[in-house]
This record gives sequence, structure tokens and C-alpha cells, in this order.
Amino acid sequence: MNKLIPMWGMSAEIQWVIFIILCILVASSVAWFILGKLKPSKLATELQVRTRSWWVMCACFIVTTLVHPLVTLLGLMYLSYALLREMYPLLNLDARERNTVLVCYATVPIQYGLAYFGMETLFLAFIPVFMFVFIPFLLVVRGETKGIVRSISLMPYSLIAWVYGMSHLALLFQLPEYPGFTAGPEGLLLYLIFLVGMNDVLQFAWGKTLGKRPVLPTVSPNKTWEGLIGGVLSITLIAVAMRFLTPLNIWQAALTGFVTAIAGFMGDAIASGMKRDIGIKNSGHAIPGHGGYLDRLDGFSAAAAPFFHLIFFFCYH
Amino acid sequence: MKKMLKSYEHSDLSLPAPASWRRRAMLVFLYKFFWRAILGVVIGLRYLGVKSNVPDGPVIYIANHNSHLDAISMMTVVPRHRLHLTHSVAAQDFFGNSFFRKWSMENLVNAVLISRKRGANDVDPIEFLDGLLRAGRSLILFPEGTRGVPGSMGDFKRGVGHLASRHPGIPVIPIYLDGLYRNLPKGRAMIVPFGGNLIMGEPMVFSDEDVDQITSQTQKAIENMAQQLRDSNRI
Repeated sequence: MNKLIPMWGMSAEIQWVIFIILCILVASSVAWFILGKLKPSKLATELQVRTRSWWVMCACFIVTTLVHPLVTLLGLMYLSYALLREMYPLLNLDARERNTVLVCYATVPIQYGLAYFGMETLFLAFIPVFMFVFIPFLLVVRGETKGIVRSISLMPYSLIAWVYGMSHLALLFQLPEYPGFTAGPEGLLLYLIFLVGMNDVLQFAWGKTLGKRPVLPTVSPNKTWEGLIGGVLSITLIAVAMRFLTPLNIWQAALTGFVTAIAGFMGDAIASGMKRDIGIKNSGHAIPGHGGYLDRLDGFSAAAAPFFHLIFFFCYH
Repeated sequence: MKKMLKSYEHSDLSLPAPASWRRRAMLVFLYKFFWRAILGVVIGLRYLGVKSNVPDGPVIYIANHNSHLDAISMMTVVPRHRLHLTHSVAAQDFFGNSFFRKWSMENLVNAVLISRKRGANDVDPIEFLDGLLRAGRSLILFPEGTRGVPGSMGDFKRGVGHLASRHPGIPVIPIYLDGLYRNLPKGRAMIVPFGGNLIMGEPMVFSDEDVDQITSQTQKAIENMAQQLRDSNRI
């Protein structure tokens, strides 16, 4: 693979994926601009707003991924923190749970610190083993047991969903050298971001064009079988086409793409179910056209850990 | 304008002294950098509808009140060159009874303290705030008069009506503060980040409405903003 711009230090693979992302963004911006001029509609404006947000998100993702591993780590850490902070106000926590929330926030830097310093075993155990017992105990120790079953289930869940999953992306930087693989952890990270981002976009696109049969009518009426199958198949193909960012062979890349797409869909569906139970459409207003951090990153955090473990199993096992 | 200033000079109200450049710089650092960063990045407060073209000159900002963070978050949306001329109105009986509270309110929050329960020979608080507006200062008012029940809005007291009807040219800017009470509830000392929204409405200018009309219209405006926020996110 040749570098697009030979002077630049970054590897050829990274240059190519940035080029591809830029092409997609430019093409969709132009397409929605023309659509808005020809047939002004609510959908066209929404697509324009969403694409504008994608530009900002892609810029943030690419810059934080490429500058320095420490910057990547801080960026991911902030995302985990923002996800927790967006989830807790929706849950009607009481005064007793307030202090426990502080402990939950404090697990974020610890978990990412374990990833940064390469303590893999402790990293894998910290939240599901240690915090899984400690946080319910903190809730019990206040002596107020009314509604405790609810908070005992909620708090460890929030940590697993938004901190444990996302932090696997920081652990990608601890993978050892693989002979003949030059894109590095930055390449793997961009690969996952690309797959999950495209998964959301393509499921939306297939659903809007062909969608008829809802897959989860009571949870999220906009998700259709056509969108799900079309999205998963396209992502499997894209994963194979983009495998120059990974050390995987064709079949491994296809399986990774398939699992990532399914996991992204599941994460999305889980978040939709939670939001429907609470009675809100979006969990926040941070990203125009998309909602909050949680609305955008539900797929990412569900797909991150399966992605890491598949890569590890295929290439480093 | 000159006449007005004169009448203020002859009155016996003690208005806060004009701010030195040190104090101005400190207020700009505190609210435009320090608190803006804490509120935006750590607490995750979303600023909605905040315009840079807030009318230049004295303005009355009003908002619903549930937390000590309310005045701080409103100071961060005041234009930079008006920061030292903008005073939050705080209760003497709560903030005046300890030296630290009084000092930090007057110096760090740029607040003025007024008494909620008036003795026989005290200055009328409305007269005092009136003098501030005449001297070209802006006010941050919480017309509910107290932080009240978390997450719910009480009825407005008539102070805002009195002030706005005496100064028909001065716009009233309604601000709805959503969720700040979770970050720092009444009776707690520790801030736990939970996000929130600060929504700034269109400036309201009154000409010949009476005190009660202005009071109820401003309350309506903020209630509508709250309702709109809830509706925009309903399934």
C-alpha cells in the first residue's frame, strides 16, 4: 500500500482511511445540499444537521486518535464520563445514591489508568469483580434499604455498559507488535469507529429506503428487518474491504465485521428500550441532530469489548 | 440620563463602588474561563439560545431558582464588558450571617445583599435595586425569592414587576435553568456532576403593563420555556 502524501509521517493505511472518510463526508454533504435545494423537506434538513455533526465527530475522533496515545486515552475517558453523567440524571437517584455516583465517576480514571499502564488482568477484573461487590456494599452501608434492589442493579450496570466496554478501546494500545502489521492500534481504533459509525448510517439508510417490517415494534419502531439485514451484510463487506487497517485475514475480518454490526445494533436497541421506559426521545442535547452522547455512543460501547476480544483471539492468542 | 444619575447621587443609598481593573479581570477569569470550563466540561451544562447580541446597557436577568449554582451559571452568560456591572440579588438573612459567605458573595459573585424581611427603618430593597438600575447596573434576580422545592418552580414575587414597570426601557431576559439542582441541591456542599440546561429566552420589553401583569408574564415566559424543553424530548 502506497502513501497518498509521501511526506507525511503517518502510515499509508491511516492516510487511506482518512481519505475514505473525507470522501464519504464530502459526498453526503453535497448530496443532502442538492436534495435540500431540489426538494426542501424535514428529512433533508435533518440529514444536513446530522452530516454536519458527523464532520465534527470524525474530526474529533481522527485528531484524538492520531495525536498521541495519551490524548486518545483522555478522549475516551471523557466519553465514558460523559456517558455516565448523561445516564444518571435520567434515573431519579435519591440522596443516598448521590455519593455512590461520585465513586462511579472515580472508577473511570482508574479503569483507563489500568489500560494505560498495561495491567491487563487487573483491567479485566477491576469493574466486574471488585466494583461489582464494592458499589452495592456502599449503597447498603448507608442503612436505608428502600428501593435498594433497583440501585444495586443500576450502578454496576452503568459501569459495565459505559466504562468497561469503552475502555477496551484504550487497551488496543497495549497489544504487542504483530509482524507485518503497520497500521498499529490507531488503525484498529479507526477501523472500529468506521464500522460502527457506518453501521448506524447504513441501517438507517436501508431502513429508510426498503424498510417495511419492524424488528422491535414496541421498543424502536424505526428499526426494520430490511435495515438490520442490509446494514449487517454491508458492514461485513466493508469490514473485508477495509481489513488493511487490521492484521486479520478475509474470514476473520468478515466475522469481526458481522459481530461488530450485530453488537452495535444490540447496544442501540438496549438504549432505545431504556429511553422508552423513562419516556424520553433523546438522552441529551450534546450532538445536534443525534441527541446526547448516549444516543450516539450506545453502539460503540456495546461493540468495543467484543471487537477487542475477537482481534485478540485471532491474532495475539 | 444625567438627571437620573444626579438623583442617585443625592439619595442616601450606598451602592457598590465602581470596580477596579483587578476586580474586573478577576470576574472575567472566574466566570468566562474558570466557571465556564467547570460548567461546560465537568458538569456538562448545555447553553441553549445564548446570543452574543444581548442589549448593551442595563438588563434584568430573571430565572427559576433551585441551587447556588444558578447565579454562577447566569454570570457566565453575561457579556464580558458588563460582568462587573451585573449584580446578583441575594438574601441578607441567608448570606449575610457569616463573614465568609458575605465576603464571597460580595467579592466573588459580585452580589448585592437585600433583606427579605424588612424592619421599620431599613431601606426599601426595591428602592435600592431601582438605584442600581438607574446607575446603569444590570441585575440577576430570582423572582421566586427562595430555592424552594427541588425541580419545581414557585410563584414569582412582585419585585421584578416593580422594577420593570419603573424602567420601561430596560429589557427583562428570562432564563430557564434545568437540572442544576441535581448538581448542587439545597443543603449539600459537594457538587456532583449530573448535567443540565441553561436556556436563554428572547428579551422582554414592557411599556405600560402594570406590576402584576409584568410579574405574571415573566413567570409565564419561563414556564413556557420549561414546557418546551420537556415536550421537545417526549416520545
